[in-house]
Amino acid sequence: MKKNVTALQKGLNTGITLGVVMVFLSLTAFTVVLANIIGDSYRPTPVTYGFVIALFGFFGGLMASSKRGLPNDDWKNVLTSSAAAGLIGGVILAVPLAVLGSIHLNGTDLRNYLVMVSPDVMETYLFGIGLLPAILITVIIFAAGAILGGAFNKGAARAEWRARWMANSQEKIRSAWQAPRVQQVVAGRYSKLFFMVGALLLLFLMPFVWGSYWNYVMGTVGLYILLGLGMNIIVGLSGQLVLGYVAFFAIGAYAMGLLSSPEPLGIQLGFWPALLASILVAALTGILLGLPILNLRGDYLAIVTLGFGEIIRILIKSDSLTWFTGGPKGLRAIAQPAIFGLKFNSDVNFMHLILVGVLVGVFIAYRLQYSRTGRAWLSVQGDQTVSRATGVNTYQYKILALALGAAFAGIGGAIFASRNQFTGPEDHVLMVSINVLCLVIVGGMGSLPGVILGSFVLKGIPELLRDLTDYRLLVFGVLLVVMMIVRPEGLWPTRRPKLEKQHLSKYDPDNDEASSEEVSA
Amino acid sequence: METLKKLVPSDLNASKWVRMILGILVLALLVWRLVDVILIQRLYGPDTWARFAITGLIIGGMYALIAIGYTLVYGILLMINFAHGEVMMLGSFAGYFVFELLAFIPSPGPENPEQVLLNAFPVLSILVAFLVGMLVSALAGYFLEKIAYRPLRKAPRLVPLISAIGASIFLQNAAMLLFGPQRRTYLNPTLLDRGLGLEIPIAGNNVLVPYTGIFSFVLSILLMLGLYLLVQKTKLGRSMRAVAEDKGAAALMGINVDAVISRTFIISGILAGAAGVMWGVHNGLLNHYVGYIPGMKAFTAAVMGGIGNIPGAMLGGMTLGILESLGPAMLGIDFQLKDVIAFTILILVLIFRPSGLLGERLSEEKV
Repeated sequence: MKKNVTALQKGLNTGITLGVVMVFLSLTAFTVVLANIIGDSYRPTPVTYGFVIALFGFFGGLMASSKRGLPNDDWKNVLTSSAAAGLIGGVILAVPLAVLGSIHLNGTDLRNYLVMVSPDVMETYLFGIGLLPAILITVIIFAAGAILGGAFNKGAARAEWRARWMANSQEKIRSAWQAPRVQQVVAGRYSKLFFMVGALLLLFLMPFVWGSYWNYVMGTVGLYILLGLGMNIIVGLSGQLVLGYVAFFAIGAYAMGLLSSPEPLGIQLGFWPALLASILVAALTGILLGLPILNLRGDYLAIVTLGFGEIIRILIKSDSLTWFTGGPKGLRAIAQPAIFGLKFNSDVNFMHLILVGVLVGVFIAYRLQYSRTGRAWLSVQGDQTVSRATGVNTYQYKILALALGAAFAGIGGAIFASRNQFTGPEDHVLMVSINVLCLVIVGGMGSLPGVILGSFVLKGIPELLRDLTDYRLLVFGVLLVVMMIVRPEGLWPTRRPKLEKQHLSKYDPDNDEASSEEVSA
Repeated sequence: METLKKLVPSDLNASKWVRMILGILVLALLVWRLVDVILIQRLYGPDTWARFAITGLIIGGMYALIAIGYTLVYGILLMINFAHGEVMMLGSFAGYFVFELLAFIPSPGPENPEQVLLNAFPVLSILVAFLVGMLVSALAGYFLEKIAYRPLRKAPRLVPLISAIGASIFLQNAAMLLFGPQRRTYLNPTLLDRGLGLEIPIAGNNVLVPYTGIFSFVLSILLMLGLYLLVQKTKLGRSMRAVAEDKGAAALMGINVDAVISRTFIISGILAGAAGVMWGVHNGLLNHYVGYIPGMKAFTAAVMGGIGNIPGAMLGGMTLGILESLGPAMLGIDFQLKDVIAFTILILVLIFRPSGLLGERLSEEKV
C-alpha cells in the first residue's frame, strides 16, 4: 500500500482495476448470467442488466471509499474518490463494449472468437437502444452506483450509531448465552450425549427426506470428506505434498471394479471382499511409491507424485491395456454391497453407507491425529532433523502416512465406483487431486473439522450454484489465490500451533505477545 | 498401530535397496526392449528413426524455451510456477488472433485484389504475431507475479504453490470462457504452410522436414542464445544471478529485488509466448488446454537438466523432446503412451539423480 495518495488517485486506481475486471466479466457474459439470476429468467432484460452494472458500481464505490489509503474520510474525499472510481470504471467498461457493439451492429456474429458473446448478450449490453446512448447509460449507471456506494459507506456502514448498535446487540447475545438456565443445559451431564444422538438421528433421517439429487450431491461431499481425511494425514499432518493423490483413488476404484465386474476379468467377488482388496492394494501402492521417493525435497515430491497420477491415468486409458482395464470405455456393472441379503441399490442406501464410512473415517483420523503417531507426524512436518534427533523415525512415519492416506483414497474410490456402478479414466483426472488438496488447505491444514467444512465449501456450494456451472472453476481458481493471500491458514485452522506457542511463551521471557502472531499453521 | 509400523521398512537403507532393485529392473527392461526392437524385429528403417529424431528436436526446442521460464523462476523464488503453461497458452492465442486479423484485412496493393495482408507481407505478419504473443505472455507473467505471488513472498513454501495452481485453473477457464472449448486451427501464412518442407534423402527415402519446424528450431536457438547473453553479460542478468544467490545480500548491494523478480517473470513470459506461437504455427491446433501438457513436460525438462541451471534447462528440453519422440518406437509400445515415457523419465531422474543432468544451481540456504 502506497502511503500518500489523494482521494482522486485512490478512486482512479480502484476504478481502473474494477473496470478491467468488468470488461473481463462482460466478455465472458458473467454480468448477463447474474442479471438472469436476479431476474429469475432465461433472458436478460435491460432493467436487470442495469441493476447488475449498478451493483458492481456500488461495490466499486464501497472499495474506493474505504478508510485505508484515503487521506481522511470526510464527505468530500469519499465522494471524490467514489465518483472518480465510478467514472473511470464505467469508461473502461464502455469502450470495449462500444467496439464490440459496432462490430455486432455490422452483422458479424462475435461468437466465432468470443463464445459467450451471443447476439442476445450483445443486445443486452446495448440496452436494445443505439450505440451511443447505451454507452452513456452504462457509464452513468456505473458512476451513480459508485457514488451511492461511497455515500452508503460513509453515511450508514461506518456511522457511529451503527457501531453502537452492533456493540449493544453483541452484548445482549452474550448475556443471553451466559444466563444460568442456558449454561445449565449446555454444560449438563447428558446434554453432550443428547446432542450427538440427535445429530446422528438427523443424519440418518435426512437421506429419506431430501430426494435423490441431494443424496447424490451429499454423497459426493461425503466421498470427498473421506479423500480429504486421507490427504489431511499426508499433507496436513506429515507435511508431504502429494499431487498425485488421484492415483490411489483410481487404484481403489479399479480394484473394486476389476474384482467385482463381469468384464474384463470376470472375478465377481462381491462388494465387501473387493472393498477390503481395494484398501489393501491402495495402501500397498502408497508404500511402494513412497519407498524410493519419500526422501525427496518437498516440491520434487509433489511433481513426482503428479507424474505418477498422470501415468496411472494414461495407462488405464490406453488401448494397449484394454484387456486389463477396459480402456477408455471403463468398467461397467460394478457390484453393490449387501448386508444379510439386504441389497444396497437405492441412493438412500448409498448415502447411509457413505455416512457410516465418513463417521468411521473421522473417528479413525481423530484417534490417529491425537495419538503418539499423530504427534510424530506433526514433528516430521515441523522439522525433520530435530524430529529425527528426538527419536522419531521420520522415514517410517512418512511412509506410514502415505500408506494410510492412500488407504482412505482406496475406500473413497471403491465406494465411488460401486455407487456409480461404473468407473472410467475420466473419473481420475488431475483435477480430483487438486480438489482434494484444495479442500484440505481451504479447510485448514491438519484440521478435521476443516476437512469437513472444506468438502462442503468446495463440493457442496458449487452444486447450489447450478446457474453458474460454466463459471465454477473460474471462481474456484480466483478463490484459491485470494484465500492464500487473505487467509492461508484455512477457514477452520487447528488450534495446536497457537496452543503450543502460548505454552512456550509462558516459559520464555523474550517472547512477548506480538511475536506469537507470526506463527503460521 | 505398532504392528502396522512393523510392516513398514524402518530406515533409509531400505530406500537405497528399493532404488537399486528398481534401477536394475528398469535397465533390464530397457535393454531387452531395445535389443528386441532394434536388432531383432527391425521395425523401422533409418529414415523413420531420422524423422522421429527431427520431430523430437523441434518439439524439444519449444520445451527448452518453456523450461527456461520454470528454471529462472525456481532459481529465484524456489517455487514451481504452475501457471507457466497457461502463460504460454495465452501467447499462443495472441498469435492466433494476429494471424486471423491479418487474414481478414485485404492487402492495399493494386496487383492482386484477392490478396490479404497475411500473405502479402508474410515475414512481417509472422514478426508481428510473435511480438504480440511475446508481449501478451510477458504481461501475463508480470501480472501473475504481481497479483498471485508477490503478496506471498514470505509465506511457507506450500502457499505460493497453491496460489499458482489457483492461477493456473483461473487462466485456463478464463481462456475457455472467452474463446470457447473448441479446437481451433492455426492459420499460417502460405510461406509457412504446414505441409511444405525440405526433403532430405536418407537411406533411399525422402524425409520431410517441415519449414515450420526448421523455423521454430532456429528461432528457439536464437532466443536461447539471446537469453544466455542477457543473463551472462548484462547488468540485469548479473542482478538476476545475485538475487538467485541471496536475496538479502543482493538487496544490501543496492539491487531492487522486487524489480528483478518482476523482470524475471517478464523474461520467462517472453520465452513462453514465443514457444506458444511456435507451438501453434508448428502443430496447428489450439485450445484452452494447450499449455498444460507442454508445461508439465517443460517442468520435467527443467528438473532433468538440473533446476536453476539455464543450460541445463536447454539440454533437458532437447533431450526430453528426442526421448519422447523416439521412446515409443524404441521400446516398441503404443504411441499413445508417449506422455507416460516423459513422466517416467521425470520420476527416474528424480529418484536416481535428483540434482539433474548438469546439476542444480541453487544457493545453499535454500536446499
